[in-house]
Amino acid sequence: MEAASPVRRRFTSRLIAEVALAAPGWQDPHPFDTVYFGGGTPSQLPAGELARILDACRSHLAFATPAPWVFLEANPEDVTPEACAAWRALGVRTLSLGVQSFSDEALRFLGRRHDGPQAQAAVRTALAAGFDTVSVDLIFGLRGQTAEDWQRDLAAAVVLEPQHVSCYQLTIHERTRFGVLAKQGQLSEMPEEQQAALFDLTHRFLADAGWPAYEVSNFARGEAHQSRHNRKYWDHTPYLGLGPSAHSLAAPDAGATARRWWNERATPKWEARLASGERPVEAEERLGPKELAEEALLLGLRTTAGIDLASWQRRFRADLLATNATLVSRLVDEGRIVVTRQRLVPTLAGLAVADGLAAAFDLPASV
Amino acid sequence: MNHIRNFCIIAHIDHGKSTLADRLIQRCGAVEDREFRDQILDSMDLERERGITIKANTVTLPYTARDGKTYELNLIDTPGHVDFSHEVRRSLMSCEGALLVVDASQGVEAQTVANLYLAMEFGLTVVPVINKIDLPSAEIDRVMEEIDRDLGLDPFESIQVSAKMGTGIDDLLEAIVTKLPPPKGDPEAPLKALLFDAQYDSYRGAVLLVRLFDGTLKVPTRVRLMHSDAEHKVEEVGNQTLKRVPVKQLSAGEVGYVLAGMKSLAGLAIGDTLTEADRPAAEPVPGYREAKPVVFSSLYPMSTDDYEELTKALEKLKLNDASLIYEKDSSAALGFGFRCGFLGLLHLDVVQARLEREYDLSLILSAPSVRYRIVLNDDREVWIDNPSFYPDPASIKEAYEPYIKAAIMTPERYLGAVMELCRERRGVETTYTFLAAGRMEVTSQLPLAEVLFDFYDRLKSITQGYGSFDYEMLDYRLGDMVKVDILVNGEKVDALSQLVHREFSRPRALRYCERLAKKIPRQQFKIAIQGAIGGQIIARSTINPFRKDVTAKCYGGDISRKRKLLEKQKEGKKKMKMVGNVEIPQSAFVSVLKTEDDNDDE
Repeated sequence: MEAASPVRRRFTSRLIAEVALAAPGWQDPHPFDTVYFGGGTPSQLPAGELARILDACRSHLAFATPAPWVFLEANPEDVTPEACAAWRALGVRTLSLGVQSFSDEALRFLGRRHDGPQAQAAVRTALAAGFDTVSVDLIFGLRGQTAEDWQRDLAAAVVLEPQHVSCYQLTIHERTRFGVLAKQGQLSEMPEEQQAALFDLTHRFLADAGWPAYEVSNFARGEAHQSRHNRKYWDHTPYLGLGPSAHSLAAPDAGATARRWWNERATPKWEARLASGERPVEAEERLGPKELAEEALLLGLRTTAGIDLASWQRRFRADLLATNATLVSRLVDEGRIVVTRQRLVPTLAGLAVADGLAAAFDLPASV
Repeated sequence: MNHIRNFCIIAHIDHGKSTLADRLIQRCGAVEDREFRDQILDSMDLERERGITIKANTVTLPYTARDGKTYELNLIDTPGHVDFSHEVRRSLMSCEGALLVVDASQGVEAQTVANLYLAMEFGLTVVPVINKIDLPSAEIDRVMEEIDRDLGLDPFESIQVSAKMGTGIDDLLEAIVTKLPPPKGDPEAPLKALLFDAQYDSYRGAVLLVRLFDGTLKVPTRVRLMHSDAEHKVEEVGNQTLKRVPVKQLSAGEVGYVLAGMKSLAGLAIGDTLTEADRPAAEPVPGYREAKPVVFSSLYPMSTDDYEELTKALEKLKLNDASLIYEKDSSAALGFGFRCGFLGLLHLDVVQARLEREYDLSLILSAPSVRYRIVLNDDREVWIDNPSFYPDPASIKEAYEPYIKAAIMTPERYLGAVMELCRERRGVETTYTFLAAGRMEVTSQLPLAEVLFDFYDRLKSITQGYGSFDYEMLDYRLGDMVKVDILVNGEKVDALSQLVHREFSRPRALRYCERLAKKIPRQQFKIAIQGAIGGQIIARSTINPFRKDVTAKCYGGDISRKRKLLEKQKEGKKKMKMVGNVEIPQSAFVSVLKTEDDNDDE
């Protein structure tokens, strides 16, 4: 097995130090039933390093029995039968592949190191390795991308039959490579009408093919393959984040209030604080019922399950529908939401504007 | 009495009246140089900023002339805008003389002529003053010719000054003493004093500025206001230098202030006559005319929570602006507000700006309206200044609208455009006369309602800034008005309803719809904006809903960012008015009520 570089070894050691520092403050009674290696390129860490991290977590934190479900994000170029075997041995059950596209041209544009055939090979290798869920991440909405281009990418993904697909529309953030390109005028987001058309195409195509959406950007072949880890972000289940810029959430009183904190963004700063024996937390925020209700609204409207009205009412002691009666009827007329007895569910057209929907709703004054 | 001179300065806007006043005040030493700030008389920030005088101010200046005698010069400042012409009249009536300021490069303007006529109407001796002679663009010869030809004044009597540089000020002061007559009057006769202005002092209440024609005024005389029929006891009299300086008494010919225990300006009518309660004058000072509002608009707080604040602010504003009238009003779309009457559009502007600035209020104004006279089928007559109360068209026999007589001065080369503007605005009997070389005066009888909409701005723009405009109310004439309503998703936004001449109803409705469509942010559903007369839709525009508005990734840290953005959006939403479920920002209301052709592509 490949040996880790000194830089990576140091990173791992710091992460392990963070586990030890964070564990005493972690009061949540529930054992950890998922572990997610993601952000950055964890697949570049040798399996031995991943094992050291998992061991540290196991010894400081309560793990669910028999074992938590482990997720790993991987770059296609790191996916080999050997690596897959090693990851499987660690308990990885979902391998999430940063494919982005199967088109060489698009991959060059996105600055990826792999090409289309490599991406296909990686998916095949992962599937052959027997992970419970292999997920393929794709990006759409590159300027100039036609519906046909995109549909070809989608088709290339489903033909491989991964259990899960994530399709992210390209968003340009400042202070990223894309942000710089956008500033230079070499890159721009697609006009809204085209974005809408591709979004629509994505959802219809994947649903028809057997991968229905369960969230704005996430599609799974059956409920069992939905990301049980990501769902936690969306329903305020507590989670502990470790590593640079990682976020954590604690909800001590059954979701009535919560505390969210996050680590230093920059790796050197995060390392420096750990080196001096400190927890590398940059800041935290307290979430009262109002903030939680706001989040529950915006997160719920991003999922195909929508908002469970009864549990929303129990949790926040207020009636969301009554407060927004006219809006709701207008949105129903407009075909953006559907209201059943139990749930407020966004339609496909509604999912496409979930941010706007969340902004349109008023929180009941009593929250 | 021979050592008193009461005079005013009259000028077209921007011709340097305030600067000239500053210079006179400075030269007479009424203010220390280090206390000096420009445009002393324009005490409101707004006035200084806009370079116009909204409220008249008055100052007494001691001046030792070349004959060695000391004179009391009472400079009675006049408001510089046509909206305030009733105040101008009161001021002029208090003077024996006037300095008529003409800009050395701009020459004689419409208001200059209008003001001269006014001054002549009141029998004032007029000394022409050519200002800004220091400007490179000064054309003194041409201006002297205009003074001769357009004003009929002797140009060789004119004094050439540069108020900015201070040149010619001594000659001007000397001319005030030698050319303007002293006041006349009988100090022994019953008191007859003209209330030509009033100010509000937060400690002393109403400060009455008066010109005594006959009699004397001292503490503790009981005075009676002849028109409003109220009595008050005099508590203090004095001269208004830049501060108030109490004196034992004021007598015939003098100008000064009176404090009489009045808490506010409410109920005070500028132009009223003060007399002694025990020995009243036989007649009041002639020429009293009630200041009547001609423009009406409703003011609503952007946030309904600010209604109380607005109420208080208006009460306070009313203390020093007796011409502002208001009463409670309410709108289905905008909640509670006030229906206000203004002397003109500038007055409306000033009141709005003061409320927003001095009281930190965010306001929505309904479309300004004139007051219509409606004769109903049963021959009852009603006056309507609020479109909300416009009677059912079927019940109207005849509707009358106010007309004005406009006097427009323009260089000859813009004559065609000006005539066209008057025609567009339903002007009748539009005629023109040549004044001096290249200058014309256009007169036209126009519906006031058509002048409310950016007439002055349009005039300025078609004449490249050279055109000027003055008006007086004329009469009421038969008109063909319709009420245009604006509907947003089928709900009437009553504050946007307007009474419009039938001929203009469709284009105007369309313009409103388009402007609203530009300013109302896209929402989650389609928004229809319609213009309607009764049940008939005459204009329409549509705002399409968002089709894609969702971030791709929402995990861990994204959620917090997203929520904060949402909170910010909802904060912004509070600053919008909800009509039905449509969020309408203040800027949308403003854009609709803004003038016609301005670019709102910001």
